[in-house]
Amino acid sequence: MTLAEAQALFHAAMTDGELPPGAVEACFVGTSRLSAQDRIAIHADMWFARQVEALRTEFPALSACLGEQRFARLCRGYLRAHPSDHHDIGRLGRHLPDFLRRHPAGERSDLGDLAELEWTRSEVFFESKAEAIGRKALSTLRPDEFARARLRFVPALRLLSLAHPAHEAWLGAVRGGGGGKAPARTELAVWRAGHEVFHAPLDRNEALALRAALGGAALLDVCARFAAVDEPVTAGFVALASWIDEGWVAAVERPGLG
Amino acid sequence: MSLARPALGHGIGLRTRHFPEFLAERTPVDWVEALSENFMAAGGRPLDVLAKVRRDVPVVLHGVSLSIGSVEPLSERYLSDLERLVRRIEPALVSDHLCWGTHRGQYVHDLLPLPLTEEALDHVAARVRQVQDRLGRQLLLENPSGYIAFRDSTLSEWEFLAELSRRADCGVLLDVNNIYVSSRNLGFDPVDYLEGIPAERIGYVHLAGHTDKGRFLLDSHAAPVPEEVWALHRLLLRRLGRVSTLVEWDDEVPPLDELVAQSHKAAEIEAEVLEEPGRLAS
Repeated sequence: MTLAEAQALFHAAMTDGELPPGAVEACFVGTSRLSAQDRIAIHADMWFARQVEALRTEFPALSACLGEQRFARLCRGYLRAHPSDHHDIGRLGRHLPDFLRRHPAGERSDLGDLAELEWTRSEVFFESKAEAIGRKALSTLRPDEFARARLRFVPALRLLSLAHPAHEAWLGAVRGGGGGKAPARTELAVWRAGHEVFHAPLDRNEALALRAALGGAALLDVCARFAAVDEPVTAGFVALASWIDEGWVAAVERPGLG
Repeated sequence: MSLARPALGHGIGLRTRHFPEFLAERTPVDWVEALSENFMAAGGRPLDVLAKVRRDVPVVLHGVSLSIGSVEPLSERYLSDLERLVRRIEPALVSDHLCWGTHRGQYVHDLLPLPLTEEALDHVAARVRQVQDRLGRQLLLENPSGYIAFRDSTLSEWEFLAELSRRADCGVLLDVNNIYVSSRNLGFDPVDYLEGIPAERIGYVHLAGHTDKGRFLLDSHAAPVPEEVWALHRLLLRRLGRVSTLVEWDDEVPPLDELVAQSHKAAEIEAEVLEEPGRLAS
């Protein structure tokens, strides 16, 4: 048997692949205490347990919502559909939110959004560091520059648009309770400050403005997203100031400077 | 080329549970081993902790996903990430495992055994040289814990590892607990293993605990180093003299003090053995 054949057989045996009868015994040494199949099962169990543990680490709230057995069942289906293709086991769960939306776990249709929030928190945790600016940076803009200036954001910031209030489900799970959440359009900002990750819901106008700013819109366009509110100038100023205060903004790019 | 074997002393693995202490205080051991894959991200708290620890003490990078024995090409993405981390951290040593863990582009995240054959030896030696050329430094390979053996194997694991280190001019990270676990699971004399690895190739030593599952021993890293592993380590020290040690504890990780105490015990045992009558301290 070549090295390639041996590895293919080992992998198939370990991951419930189809093998002819007796193939495992013909390739591996068994003893009266532990047959060749028993020995393969040790690796198969470790393979599965390690990946479930990695997913539980990334999705603690989801895991708490489902309980140990249902979470393990979810993982088995997920791993079949999305075997790991990255050397970092911490990347294993990146398809889980979409998988859950396509294959809901039981009666809870909100868990895909909860998983997306947890995965985003994990991504933000590992994003590269960038210095944030203070409010003073905005005040250095000349009035004629303000409208055409653009904001550059720190890498550790995401804006999620979800069909359910995943932040409420997350809080419920963290506090050890809480059931499924009814659908409600929810915009969440997720960001890191120091070594801690935070998330918070944004109202619709602020979310529209932030999405525009993240997409590279000029400040005039960003502020225009508040046109429909009672005091648009105040609302726009408050939003910009809070983005800066939270450490989301890495730079104000003057017009013409890219 | 001979193996670069820095005298690191006695260290522990860097684990998430202890990050606050590592950030707040001076690292309480001679050196620290970090799992390479956990620090390949662009940023975040783990990298900050590792950078701080690196300012305190030497760091060894220890990987689990190189998959040196796989028949698939080495992952360019992995090598590139490892190369970047090595440049960033400037580790004292870089190690991984004698195993394979990828198949058709999938990672199994397990350290799977190789058939111990001439074909595998040629294959792994060529890939070790490839990695060493890429990193511009020697690689150390660790003996994995064994649960199953291939009927086609024609060499013992220690013969394989010894010959591999010679052909590829690489180092050996000798895991004494893995030797004990494998000896019980696969039925060989652990002393034959200890004596079968060329002393000059051993870069450092892993010490850890295991779990008795009844029909087999599991390399769980979830317990203190047991007496039978310390006993083997004493034998090794009598042969090697002073050697850098690393206590691993990955599951049910204890408070830092308890882990540090295991590292101190490794230092005490080394001192005892080196002071034995008729033994010259090295």
